[in-house]
This record gives sequence, structure tokens and C-alpha cells, in this order.
Amino acid sequence: MPAKFDLNDLSVVVIVGSGAGGGVLANELAKKGISVVVLEAGKRVEITDFRNDEVAMFSLFTWLDPRTTSGSWSVAKTSADLPIWTCKLVGGTTVHWGACALRFQEHEFKTKTRYGDIGGANLLDWPIDLNEMAPYYDRAELRMGVTGTHGIPRLPASNHGTVLFAGAKKVGYTKFQTTNMAINPVPRDGRASCQQTGFCVQGCTFGAKWSTLYIDIPQAEATGKAEVRAESQVLRVEHDASGKVNAVVYADESGTLQRQKARAVAVAANSIESPRLLLNSSSSMFPQGLANSSGQVGRNYMRHTTGAVFAVYEKPVHMYRGTAQSGIVMDEARLDPTRGFVGGYQFELLPQGLPSFSQTIIPGGWGRDRAWIVDNYTNLAGLWIIGEDLPRDTNRITLHPDKKDKFGMPIPNIHCDDHPNDVAMRNHGYKQADALYTSIGAKKTVHVSPYPSTHNMGTNRMSEKPADGVVNRFGQAHDVKNLFVSDGSQFVSSGGENPTLTIVALAIRQAEYIADQMTKGAI
Amino acid sequence: MKLLDWASKFSRRGFLAGGATAIAAVAVTGPAVLADPEATPRAEPQGLEPEQTRVLLKFVHDLFPHDRLADSFYAKAIAPLEDEAAKDSSARKLLADGVGRLNRLAMAAGGTGYADLADEKARVAIIKQIEGGAFFSKVYGTTLVTLYNQPEVWPLFGYEGPSSDKGGYLHRGFNDIDWL
Repeated sequence: MPAKFDLNDLSVVVIVGSGAGGGVLANELAKKGISVVVLEAGKRVEITDFRNDEVAMFSLFTWLDPRTTSGSWSVAKTSADLPIWTCKLVGGTTVHWGACALRFQEHEFKTKTRYGDIGGANLLDWPIDLNEMAPYYDRAELRMGVTGTHGIPRLPASNHGTVLFAGAKKVGYTKFQTTNMAINPVPRDGRASCQQTGFCVQGCTFGAKWSTLYIDIPQAEATGKAEVRAESQVLRVEHDASGKVNAVVYADESGTLQRQKARAVAVAANSIESPRLLLNSSSSMFPQGLANSSGQVGRNYMRHTTGAVFAVYEKPVHMYRGTAQSGIVMDEARLDPTRGFVGGYQFELLPQGLPSFSQTIIPGGWGRDRAWIVDNYTNLAGLWIIGEDLPRDTNRITLHPDKKDKFGMPIPNIHCDDHPNDVAMRNHGYKQADALYTSIGAKKTVHVSPYPSTHNMGTNRMSEKPADGVVNRFGQAHDVKNLFVSDGSQFVSSGGENPTLTIVALAIRQAEYIADQMTKGAI
Repeated sequence: MKLLDWASKFSRRGFLAGGATAIAAVAVTGPAVLADPEATPRAEPQGLEPEQTRVLLKFVHDLFPHDRLADSFYAKAIAPLEDEAAKDSSARKLLADGVGRLNRLAMAAGGTGYADLADEKARVAIIKQIEGGAFFSKVYGTTLVTLYNQPEVWPLFGYEGPSSDKGGYLHRGFNDIDWL
């Protein structure tokens, strides 16, 4: 049974957000007997609300509250009203995610050391390394049921994957396979197996895909130690005279302001909303924003270096059939500066249904040339470049000086300029993808500029020294010992891998630390 | 990219209201996002003139020229614009002014109205002159969604659409490629 806690209950850990970070942290803490209140800004829907409808599910899932953007990144032109594509509902972006569950590579935890000084980039080593993360990656993979790990079989290749692999082989790549995915290839852990519906991103109607919405959140509630309050947007985190956080103020489903007292607070609202909340929680003691003595809150915003390539063939591919992102080429993920950039990238399958594809294939495009591409819809294959994006302290989330949301909270602005490394990597990816697809007979390839960012990282980063970042190696704020950050905003580098597995592994690890600190009476 | 248009046009509340529908019913109910013109009587007198609608149709066809699509699909795509014009005078003015401009440019180029300008290249040259303007953006942003999100259009492009109610593609060709 879900718990019901009093607003004045000072024993609870308040978790802001219910996605990969918040949902897992809630489950882990509740199973350890710790009382948690999860405040989720979005609605609660269930699997039965999912439909194989791209337009409808976009409207149902997406965080659509106003945001502004600035900077020279192409998204500021192609999608100024929606620079970020994350979700606003219980389960967060784990409802929408493609379920690629990859570990970071060793060098990606040590970018400052391994890449050296790079002008215009604010590199820093993580205070942790792959070795330390390995057991938590193991636990994350086991709980999520990641294919290709721990004896869990891989998913079968779809037509779309078969095309990708054939091209990869032809150009001499060797590291390609169906991806490590948090999607059941066979029934496991009370979840059904993948039916190859192709609508992973619209919410898995079979529940074969891991999501906190129907896995961690119900498990947490079943302990009797967790309460999830949906449609509850946190506006401020408050602290006492000693500088420890002691409450959060939120707008409930009726828009009424409530104050939930707390023993500790964990912020897991994604890399845009988490820094927004901390910046909006400034006080006389924390004039730059809560936990921001370093000035790093909101800075070092990283999405991934992305772009997409679609190829037109003579014969059918039917890219929309089957597990959406179940194919990967990893040969370019290595660190090899001779290519003209540091860091690496993956190719991941990117199928789209006709409504999405026709919307995004050529932003603003029209006329016969574009129509010809859409006319060839069944004969298309497509991939997504996902590569390491370097942190820059000028790429940042700030509070808009004038514009406010319906609760009076300043909306966030996302400023981003491409680093030359990103541009070089993207262009390399376009060129290699062209070679891959044309090697097996593509008539034409089309390059698509980056979509609104789905991977958002780095805006409350970890650091060994308090001056370099916002939180320590456990996601604990340097400035406030009972305040934690539990999402991808802790990331110090973006890696060339989808962030969710690392977010989950960090949340599992953080839960151990929080429980230990509570036992010791340190928080 | 007009992803946001999806959301602004089709309210999330509407989907939530219909969201209790069982998965099996998805194929039957189809998308609630498209107004059915037959079920929704439009107040024609206050809306666009038939001649204006004819120009608008031609314009949208030129934006998205798919020879495989019958005019009826384009008509359905512009229906929300007509509805808006009937309800909102500023929308009507935007569309009427845009159509007027297309006609004036066509008259200068070929001595006829836009819809009767036979040379497609000439019409394309006219569109390039208005590209990015308010009328262009309004029509483009709307019809890019409403043309391709018609389930009746999907099979004409070979898109099979919803699959969960049919058991996914697991036994329906997800790995049937035979030409590699």
C-alpha cells in the first residue's frame, strides 16, 4: 500500500522527480525502510493509457511548459519553442526512452586527464571511475533486465538492424549488434517479452521495456514506505538557520501551494529543471542559489553531439517494424584524436513512424525533393549519431529574467553553443554514415540536424573539490549535506552513451550512501 | 520542426480523457486528433470563400506534392484551417491575405490566379517568395501534421501504423528482409 505522510513529517526524504534517478532512488530507499515522498510535476498515467500514436503520445508525455533558448546551436533555430524533449509524468523520461542501456567507457570518466586541456571546454575528471561504478552497473543491468548482460539474451535483429549491420560489415566495422537494451527478449521479472511493436518511444504497451512508471514506483509503494504525489511541481527548496534543507514548497494538483517538511531532499528533475529549482531556491544564506557557492549550478550543460542520417534504398526495409533502437555500431565510440576530435560516438537505429518522420526529415522543407523522400518511406533506413558533447561553462541553464510559469516560477533558458569538437564529430558521423549506407546500395542519404535534446546532462556536476562543481562523489551537495542531486545533472562528462543506465547505477549507489549517512546520524 | 504544434493543436487533456480505452480498441477508435469533416459541420458563410479554399488546396499540394494522394486527403489536411477561419477573424484574414498574395504573384507571373497557374515551376517560384512568412508558416505548420497523420494516408506510403493490437510485428515481418 502506498504510504501517506503528513506535510509536517520531518522524517521523510523528499525526492523531486520520478524518472530514472528519482524513481529508482525512491524504490531503493523505501526497500531499506526509509520513508520517501516523491513529488512529480506531471500526471500519473498507466500502461493502459499508451497508444501506438506518435502525435497523441507526444502530447501526453512531453514536458511542454515554456522554455526559451539562445546560442548558436541549431536547435535554437529549428525548435526554439521546444529545445528539450523530455517527459512530464510519473516515470519521467523512462516512459519515453528507447531503452539503450550502455555503460560509460573508462576514459569517459577521466576526460580532463585523458583529453588534456581543450580550449573552450570546461573538462573535469569524475571523482569516481569505471571500476568503482562496475558493481552498480551490474545491479542496474540486473534490475532493468539489460540484454547482452548477465546471461540475458540479445533481442533479434529487425530488418532495420539487418541493413545497419550489413553496411557496417561492408565498410569494415566489427563492433555491431543488437544493443544492450532494457527490454525483455523473454519474459523476466514479472514483465512480458518484446513483441516488436515498434512503438517503444510512445510507451511500451506490453511493459517489456523497463520504466520506473510501472516497475520501481509500484515496488516502492508496495513497501508501505513511499508516497508519490503527482501533479506536484516543486518551486523552492527551503533551509534552516544552519543551512540544512528542511522543506520544499510545491504547487499541488489544484495549484495550491504546500510545504512538505523533509529530513533530506533529493533533486531528480532532469538537467534543466534540477538547476532551475536550485537557482530559484536562493536565500540570504545562498544568494547565488542553493548549493551554488561554486557558481557551477546550471553550467556545463551537455546534450549529446547528435544528428541523424536516413538512406533511401530500392527495396523495402520497413524501419518502423520492430524494437525501435535495437541496433548499434560502436566502432567510432573509441577515443582516437586522429579523427580530429576527442571522445567518440555510436550509431544507433532511429526508426520513425510516418507522422514523426514527415515532420522532422527536413525542418521547414517542402516541394518535390522532400516529397520524394517521404514517397520512399518503406525503403528507408535511419540512424542516430550519439557522441560525447564537451562541457562548456557558458552552455548553461539560467532563470529567465522576466518570463514566469503559471506558478510564478521563472522559466529556464537553455543557452548552448556547439564546441568545434562537436562540429567535427558530427561531420565525421555524417560522412561515416553515408559510407555505411551507400556501401550496400543507398540511392540517396539525407542528413538531419539535431533534434530537440532528449539527453541532458551536467548542470549540477560532481567534483572532488567544492570549487569545481556542485555535488560530491555521491551526488551530495558540497554546500548542504542533506541535499542530493540524483539525475543526469550530476554528470561530469556526457560520454558517448545513452545516459539512463548510468543515472540508475548512480541512484542505486546514492541510496546506499544516504541510508548509511542516516544510520550514522550524519544527515 | 514543428513538434510543438502537435501539442498545441491537440490538447493532452483530450487524450487523457480517451486514454482509458483498452489497447485493443486503438485500431478501432483511431486517432482523435483529426476532426472528421462530415461529423463537424462548418459554418461556411463566415469562413473562406470556395475560391480561396481552392487556392489553399493547390498551395498545400505544392508544399507536399505526392502524386499518390487524392485531393480528398489534402482537403482533410486543410479542414482545421478552414474551421479556424470560420471561428476567428484574425485567422481568416491571415489566410485570405495569403491567398490574395499568391493570386497576385501568379497574376504577375502567368496572368492567372494561383490555382490556375499550370506551370508548377512558376508556382514553386512564387512559394519561395512567401516562404517563412506568417501565412506560409501557419499553413505549413498545420498541414505538415494534418496531412501525414491521417491513418487513411498511411497505407498509401506503406506505413502500417499501430501494431500492438495485432501482437506487434513479431510474427508480421519485423525480420523478413530478403534483399541483402
